Amino acid sequence: MKINNKRNFCIIAHIDHGKSTLADRLIEMSGTVAKRDMQSQILDSMDLEREKGITIKLAPTRLIYEYKDQEYELNLIDTPGHVDFTYEVSRSLAACEGALLLVDASQGVEAQTLANTYLALDNNLEIIPIINKIDLPSARIDEVKKEIKEVIGLDAENCPCISAKEGLNIEAVFKAIIEQIPAPSGDENEKLKCLIFDSHYDNFKGAICLIRVFDGSVKKGDKILMMQTQKVFEVTEVGIFVPTTKECDILKAGDVGYLAGSIKTISDVKVGDTITNADNPISEPLPGYKEVQPVVFCGIFPVDGAKYGELKDALDKLKLNDASLQFSPENSTALGYGFRCGFLGLLHLEIITERLEREFNLDIITTAPSVSYNVYKTNGDCLEISNPSNLPPAVEIARIEEPVVRVNIFTPPDYVGSIMELCQDKRGIYRNMIYLDKRRVELQYHLPLGEIIYDFFDSLKSRTHGYASFDYEFDGFEASDLVRVDILLNGEKCDALSMIVHKDKAYSRGRELTERLKKIIPRQLFEVPIQACIGNKIIARETISTMRKDVLAKCYGGDITRKRKLLEKQKEGKKRMRKIGSVEIPSEAFMSILKLGDDEK
Amino acid sequence: MKSSEVGKDVDAFYTSSSENDISIYIHIPFCERKCSYCAFVSFCLSYAEREEYINFLLDEIENFSTTKKVKTIYLGGGTPSLLIKDEIFAIFKKLREKFNIDENAEITIEVNPNSVDEEKLKVYKEVGINRISVGVQSLSNKTLKSIGRLHTKKEAIDKLKLIGKYFDNISADLILGLSGEKSVTRYAKKLIKLKVKHISSYMLEVHENTKLFSEVRDKKYRPLDEKGVAKSYERLAKFLSKHNFNQYEVSNFALAGYESKHNLNYWSYGEYIGFGISAHSFLSHKRIANANSLQGYYIRKQKEEKITKDMEIEERIMLGLRCFAGVDISILNNLGYDIQKNENYKRFLNEGEIIEENGKFYLLPKYYKFADYYILNLFP
Repeated sequence: MKINNKRNFCIIAHIDHGKSTLADRLIEMSGTVAKRDMQSQILDSMDLEREKGITIKLAPTRLIYEYKDQEYELNLIDTPGHVDFTYEVSRSLAACEGALLLVDASQGVEAQTLANTYLALDNNLEIIPIINKIDLPSARIDEVKKEIKEVIGLDAENCPCISAKEGLNIEAVFKAIIEQIPAPSGDENEKLKCLIFDSHYDNFKGAICLIRVFDGSVKKGDKILMMQTQKVFEVTEVGIFVPTTKECDILKAGDVGYLAGSIKTISDVKVGDTITNADNPISEPLPGYKEVQPVVFCGIFPVDGAKYGELKDALDKLKLNDASLQFSPENSTALGYGFRCGFLGLLHLEIITERLEREFNLDIITTAPSVSYNVYKTNGDCLEISNPSNLPPAVEIARIEEPVVRVNIFTPPDYVGSIMELCQDKRGIYRNMIYLDKRRVELQYHLPLGEIIYDFFDSLKSRTHGYASFDYEFDGFEASDLVRVDILLNGEKCDALSMIVHKDKAYSRGRELTERLKKIIPRQLFEVPIQACIGNKIIARETISTMRKDVLAKCYGGDITRKRKLLEKQKEGKKRMRKIGSVEIPSEAFMSILKLGDDEK
Repeated sequence: MKSSEVGKDVDAFYTSSSENDISIYIHIPFCERKCSYCAFVSFCLSYAEREEYINFLLDEIENFSTTKKVKTIYLGGGTPSLLIKDEIFAIFKKLREKFNIDENAEITIEVNPNSVDEEKLKVYKEVGINRISVGVQSLSNKTLKSIGRLHTKKEAIDKLKLIGKYFDNISADLILGLSGEKSVTRYAKKLIKLKVKHISSYMLEVHENTKLFSEVRDKKYRPLDEKGVAKSYERLAKFLSKHNFNQYEVSNFALAGYESKHNLNYWSYGEYIGFGISAHSFLSHKRIANANSLQGYYIRKQKEEKITKDMEIEERIMLGLRCFAGVDISILNNLGYDIQKNENYKRFLNEGEIIEENGKFYLLPKYYKFADYYILNLFP
């Protein structure tokens, strides 16, 4: 197919604005997948994605569409919509010439609509606004058009207004893609230049690179060079997505597809890297490559210590699909050997831990998330601390800096007061407030990241009944008065429960945590004091009273099975327990720091 | 207290029992009214429905055959004392036709004070029943009424006296943890006076789908809290021990020689056949459960579970640790579990919570109230 008849595009939207449904409809209407094989939200290949209704992994697909007697090849790259995955979005945007900006006709412009639009503009994409869910009784098409004009600055006067769910007006979307998005501009006779925008691991073929070819062509047998890692591979297979993989002879300038090359070492494939021909390389790689920096950290430990090796293998495999996941070995007195892992955000953390449990069948314990602090010592050293228990003694610390973020919150005006109160409570500094229209206010705050990962999202959701959306951007480090609060169980320190908090909050958090632990930790055969302390100073104390009895009284009528099963269930629960000295504590306890403050709601 | 000081007859029971012995349980699901706490399979049936049930029961017995010697028979319920004379005769006639019943077999029937009478006691005697288990539960009229029992304190006492005229081996049940019943020792005292030789005291369990469950949920009924139950349990154990009752299992106390051989068979891994709705059998390393509904029972629906070595290890620890039978170390070894290498085992031994004697280990009765804790910690 001629390059002029190709279009590469993606869909960007706030979460739940119908991105995957529109993708399904485009696939269905182009006849790419037979209707009987249609599974709702076909591009969300992981169970987890379907359950959460969100897209995590990029899944491209090639659509063939006939328009004005010509055949067009449309490569759709679906993108994740969550703030945690900004880099993933930017990589897929870099593989496209245009983006469909999908806006919910009743919700209007939200925080991520804006954030993703800025990303698309950064990548010089043609942006086509599309208003979705016009079938809803609460749709307010004209107002949303105005919002798009005023908030984003895009003319939406003649944009397609559709219902992806009902299949309404989808032709208008195809028309806009073909007429408004420019064809790729590469030259297939030039030297090979392609972008890796995603990768995954295949047990038979090794690492699979998802690529966009900008110039030249690539086929089986070619020797290729990865420009960041400087590794050379021989291509064993190239192909396209329909949306399952299908081998083809050659990928040329303008194409989106995949490439395999018996690449065994996971770290050799860097998402964002440029591939060129090893014998005839280009001199400059594509711009925009960056190593993703994790912002949220937590410890992940196997429930069964013997499974440390399995956990490592699983993390290695996940990392191939997910360049942003970082991990290094860690040892905890409470939890044994495990890994300190870095994530892009809380959702990312949740997804990885769930995948470890589901796809790799591992029982894991995760510790409460933390951010990374810059700790300046009195002797002039600077340490990056993401694990509270590694914080040096207070006398050795000159100052601690914590990461801060710029937060944009979109909300109906009714909740402004409540949100301001929340931000205040989270040590936020007010920056700006913009009345976008009658129903929408944008609040800008400056907040410590540590407070955001703590329970900000949940609090925001409950205070605004889910009507507010937010987005944040990293804004450097700032000095802050921080201390470490430790937890003692029966007099023994539990390193995995230590937390770094602002001095003004140490007492209340210490008290909340001891209260919560008292609820979670089952009673033992002896009394267990739970203490929170800063250094040697006790700031809170609770006591778990002695267990009085632990016996199922009845073993009647020969029904032994029932009783054995009850005990087996308890045995499973016990496996998830950890011992601190002589005290058994359930694995949920280690996440309980996060749940602080829940009770007040 | 050492294990050798009590339970001599228990030991005798074990040494005399062999692989050729078997027990029989028969479930009689009849009730006049369902007690609020009851989660067992029982119904208020019409006369015709009862007759249908008995016919199926007889048919089930008819279709089973074994050459093993029957050492114990137990009629439980429900309320077996609702069985009429002809039904009792029919059941025992069938049993004696089909099975080789030991002449010293322990044969028990559960009775409720309100439905047992002198005529029935004579029938029991005639068919060879030699042990009566009486559902006393409490000797407070207020308590009895609050849990839906049909008898009164006076009725219980009168019937125990009557039963005493015909039978020597009498057991009584008491429930621990009922509302306001901080101590049941005064009931135990009365029972001892009435020549009861065996007391089973079960802690109240609130099961879903019972009347009690909704009463507790709606705060209409308030059982004792855990501390209260534990205390009343300790008081009772102490009191009974003073009166020469041996605690030979978590919930069972008996004068020497009056231990329930039927229950001991369950706990010592002996085989048993269960007849009737919801009855359980344990035969050739299989646990078989009859259906819980009449419909299922009448089409002979059963659930079967093959007991693997791993399950057997758990079961032997679970059952043996709850009673004076203890757990045989060499049997666990043969099943592939060297418990003497278990760190918790060493610790419990060291702390004197379990004792090792004659190739077996036992949990001391004063730790029975934490039995599940020890069991779980000794699992492989």
